[in-house]
Amino acid sequence: MKIAIDRESLAKSVQDVMKAVSPRTTIPILTGIKITATSQGVTLTGSDSDISIESFIPVEEEGKLLVEVKETGSVVLQARFFAEIVKKLPQQTVEIEVGPNFLTVIRSGKAEFNLNGLDPDEYPRLPQIEEENIFKIPTDLLKTIIRQTVFAVSTSETRPILTGVNWKFENGELTCTATDSHRLALRKAKIETENPQSHNVVIPGKSLNELSKILDDSNDPVDIVVTANQILFKTKHLLFFSRLLDGNYPETARLIPTDSKTDIIVNAKEFLQAIDRASLLAREGRNNVVKLTTLNDGIIEISSVSPEIGKVTEEIQSESVEGEELKISFSAKYMMDALKALDGTDIKISFTGAMRPFLLRPLHNDSMLQLILPVRTY
Amino acid sequence: MQKMYRKQGRIILHVDCNSFFASCEIARDPSLKEKAVVVAGDPKERKGIVLAANYIAKRRFGIYTTMPLWEAKKKCPSLVVLKPDFSLYRETSSKVFQFLRRISPLLEPASIDEGYLDITECDSLGSPLEIAEYIQQGLLQTLHIPVSIGIAPNKFLAKMASEMKKPLGITVLRKRDVPNILWPLPVKEMHGVGDKTAKKLNTIGIFTIGELAKAEEERLQQLLGINGIRLKERANGIDDRPVDPEAGEKWKSIGNSTTLPYNVTEERILLDVLRELAQSVSERMKRKRVVSSTVQIMIRYSNFQTITRSKTWENPFQEAEEIFQYAAYLLKKHWNGNPVRLLGIAALDVFDKKAAMKQLDLFHYEEEAKREALWKTMEQLRQKFGEDIIRRGANLFQQD
Repeated sequence: MKIAIDRESLAKSVQDVMKAVSPRTTIPILTGIKITATSQGVTLTGSDSDISIESFIPVEEEGKLLVEVKETGSVVLQARFFAEIVKKLPQQTVEIEVGPNFLTVIRSGKAEFNLNGLDPDEYPRLPQIEEENIFKIPTDLLKTIIRQTVFAVSTSETRPILTGVNWKFENGELTCTATDSHRLALRKAKIETENPQSHNVVIPGKSLNELSKILDDSNDPVDIVVTANQILFKTKHLLFFSRLLDGNYPETARLIPTDSKTDIIVNAKEFLQAIDRASLLAREGRNNVVKLTTLNDGIIEISSVSPEIGKVTEEIQSESVEGEELKISFSAKYMMDALKALDGTDIKISFTGAMRPFLLRPLHNDSMLQLILPVRTY
Repeated sequence: MQKMYRKQGRIILHVDCNSFFASCEIARDPSLKEKAVVVAGDPKERKGIVLAANYIAKRRFGIYTTMPLWEAKKKCPSLVVLKPDFSLYRETSSKVFQFLRRISPLLEPASIDEGYLDITECDSLGSPLEIAEYIQQGLLQTLHIPVSIGIAPNKFLAKMASEMKKPLGITVLRKRDVPNILWPLPVKEMHGVGDKTAKKLNTIGIFTIGELAKAEEERLQQLLGINGIRLKERANGIDDRPVDPEAGEKWKSIGNSTTLPYNVTEERILLDVLRELAQSVSERMKRKRVVSSTVQIMIRYSNFQTITRSKTWENPFQEAEEIFQYAAYLLKKHWNGNPVRLLGIAALDVFDKKAAMKQLDLFHYEEEAKREALWKTMEQLRQKFGEDIIRRGANLFQQD
């Protein structure tokens, strides 16, 4: 293999595939990045066997020559060193040449690195996915959906299925649900497809986080292909494969309350700031818990007590409070996470009692909801 | 003479650190001494609030605790803003209490920056006023922490007295001073009367402490429950609560261990022993009405090598079965199979059950929700008649 390649394009691609490379892996060759040159261009691959990312640099794009392939071929280079080298090379063009025993020379300007490469035939093959049954979704919407749900996945391995986000494709609609059993985030979106089949899969939270990092903010469509144990996200020059989690995701729809006893409408931003202030003292305490009390005339009191440190109370004027009066305690962190995810202006919070889950929704939008379980004080 | 002195009753000091967080910061960095200093939540952000301010900030610039930081900065552009360092405050706090304990072991820390000290038996150290001066000077010189001290025959009056002169005040409040000094004050100034209680009292025409002292007991009880009666007593300068050194965080941990009659290598027998230990730890926790989130087990092998292993769970526990499950988990994980001669279980960092919380779980909350009506009723009864009026039947047997 012998190529001359635009350094910036290479650096960007390396950065993307590095998201899948883990320094700790049981398969040594996966600490490397695989580089393959064909007459169409250069493909970089990184993988930790859960996530695999493939980034393609075409020979030319928008009239600009990006790669000159002098000799096709393939090599695996140590990711850590390769990424650092590419970042720091002096010139706009990088030459990569693979000699016998995969000894690789990287040249740019007067700098020359000799790296010991590895045999690309030892690199595991990426899953072969037939590109049928494609769902399409705009990139920016996909990123929003991920941001609004993935924070709620469980970080504990006690119930591994909850470390993923449940994606249901049904009747042209995608429903994403994440819960760590203390709070739940749900987001629905219309999805473009000619595929009548429904799918119900669980994608590891970590995969979605990494995917979100390498997607740009355009509204170009992302193609999504679902198979029995893999999901593939495909953009113009990027393939992102993720393993799916085994097992059945718990049925959560019936756990979401449909009636309510107390409804509060508040400005999300003011409410978030009040919770943030109240949690200042609670953060040091055991559980970071704040208490919400409805007072008269639509006033809500937010308070928190840490016996050793002190207490804080703040009154907020809500848009409206309807129904029974209420005193409820909950984790300030869960509340702040939920409010940040909703990013609406006015939100409605519906309670069914101090020991029952409550719902947060944007006032005029039912495509998303956040659910939080309260804290019981003794 | 000394006997006469004691017959008059108790002598209680309330020692209150002035602007504690700010004082700790200044003690650490004396160059701040002549500057306006506040401790505030995240100074980088606009939304931070003032958690503590030193007297220069308070007096010269009118800055108060809970004031938004941007407002404080507007009042004093040269304001020194520090992020809270709670570990420094805790460390300083424990040094202050250590100092006080050397005067009298009857010390009850009431919060991180204040405590009650019973010096009734300390006449050999000097008069109450001399002792207070010694404490004030001692804390200022050794720890650079200024305190105000109230001297009185009970905790309530001592607390009211220490509030009267800040910083570095020493105030004596005798019972016979109550009509002259306390009664003219607005009822809201009284320790134990918050905004809400004050508003309630206002509705029945009580605006001063004196009016509360003379109010009809029945009306107070109707309005505030048992607490109303207590407040009236306090307003009359009566408060017989003892200074209880164990009132705060008394039991750091509760544990039991047992030496086995012979060296054991069978897991089944070890588990039986753990079950019994869990039972006794649970009983002691219930008796003291505390819970814990951390279980520790101790294993001593026949060669006297001893290991302890602990794990913290998310929700606090108190029941024997839970403790046993956690201990058994630890044993299975850490026992190396060698013969064991002693086993122990301890609940670490126990805390008052009232401060305990349980994060409810989406898949199991129904069980808790069923008891909601019961909890509500219990809370209402407690508010009306006091903490001890009702307890769950199963817990009744745990009383001392």
